[in-house]
Amino acid sequence: ARPVLATPEKISEKVEESIKSAEEACSGGGDSAECAAAWDEVEELSAAASHARDKQKESDPLENYCKDNPETEECRTYDN
Amino acid sequence: MAACTVYSTQSLSTNCSISTPSKTQYGFHQRQVVFYTTSRRNSRRGSSSSSSRYVITCAAGDSQTVVIGLAADSGCGKSTFMRRLTSVFGGAAEPPKGGNPDSNTLISDTTTVICLDDYHSLDRTGRKEKGVTALDPRANNFDLMYDQVKALKEGISVQKPIYNHVTGLLDPPELIKPPKILVIEGLHPMFDSRVRELLDFSIYLDISNEVKFAWKIQRDMAERGHSLESIKASIEARKPDFEAYIDPQKQYADAVIEVLPTQLIPDDNEGKILRVRLIQKEGVKYFSPVYLFDDGSTISWIPCGRKLTCSYPGIKFFYGPETYYGNEVSVVEMDGQFDRLDELIYVESHLSNLSTKFYGEVTQQMLKHADFPGSNNGTGLFQTIIGLKIRDLYEQLIATKAETPVGAAKA
Repeated sequence: ARPVLATPEKISEKVEESIKSAEEACSGGGDSAECAAAWDEVEELSAAASHARDKQKESDPLENYCKDNPETEECRTYDN
Repeated sequence: MAACTVYSTQSLSTNCSISTPSKTQYGFHQRQVVFYTTSRRNSRRGSSSSSSRYVITCAAGDSQTVVIGLAADSGCGKSTFMRRLTSVFGGAAEPPKGGNPDSNTLISDTTTVICLDDYHSLDRTGRKEKGVTALDPRANNFDLMYDQVKALKEGISVQKPIYNHVTGLLDPPELIKPPKILVIEGLHPMFDSRVRELLDFSIYLDISNEVKFAWKIQRDMAERGHSLESIKASIEARKPDFEAYIDPQKQYADAVIEVLPTQLIPDDNEGKILRVRLIQKEGVKYFSPVYLFDDGSTISWIPCGRKLTCSYPGIKFFYGPETYYGNEVSVVEMDGQFDRLDELIYVESHLSNLSTKFYGEVTQQMLKHADFPGSNNGTGLFQTIIGLKIRDLYEQLIATKAETPVGAAKA
């Protein structure tokens, strides 16, 4: 079974597409300039996807709720 | 001392300088522009053009922005390093409020981090058409990079473009105000000699090929479409440009953090246990390298023993002088990983020249971010130490500038 992807769908799709087009661009020969540029795009999108995933992972459901509803019982905090 | 210069926008000869004989103006940093009218209210309407307008720009003349450069390849932990660095200065770093949601900039009270991808001259389609990678200097606008970093260093705000990593397009610019500490991070902070001259300190994150491969597998394998082959192909395809344009920058760095596979386990290629080397240039002003036990000796140290229990494969330290690209350097090396806090404080107490403000500050900083990648090995330790070193360098630079008379600073 595939692990549940936390990556926002939009970037995830783009990564998939860019890998396909990189494989095509390199089918003629591994060391053309187009081939390197295509794989560079894959790298850039993979990095963006991983950053987006990290951001999503960091978000805590309770903290998100408390940002919008700081006065509720479960969110109230007093310094003293 | 603060020096304020008054310019008249009416091109009259009302240029004057005001200097305030105060010694505590370090916080007064950003150039401020004040508009005000001095003319008496005119009885006639529509004669506002006759009112005199002055622009007063106040830069705290001698306390300028300190600029730090951080070079590393994509996916090599620049963002983790940046979060550790900004944390040393206190306060969380956040993207600019209310701006472009895809902005790459991080701002905290003292520090502004800008990503050099924002100076791409070609967007994603442009690079594809021309067949160049983002690593290629032809895809980057070094003239604009130099102009804007120089302006920020002199205390002038700039409108910096935003490279959108999701769409691959160059978005409308955002306003960047001169911070106390400006960090420029990306692929080419030390590539252009003019930009290099502006840097007060420079760091290069050098990740060995084996570790890079292992990290990218961890990062990308869960991603749809990626396979071992695609990750390998991507690294291989970018390698020629990386070796031609990015890697040579490490010879200019004041500090290099080198990440290698461990030597404690034979034939380890998991990339989980790391041998990390902090290579520190000697003779850099305001930067005195960290050392182990005795400055200048060559020492190999295994802290595990009667006083410290370590689990497999243990921890091994090394310290010694070396030559790196023709420069005298001091190297501190750590192989292995920490299991518990007492190990770290034990190690910290044997390192000297850490530039900490109190005993245990390194350990405390590491504990603050126990969830960051690298917190249990040398990457987190050396990144934290470099953060403290930068704070020390910043404080020394500011103190020296404050002593310089205004007149001399201007000349």
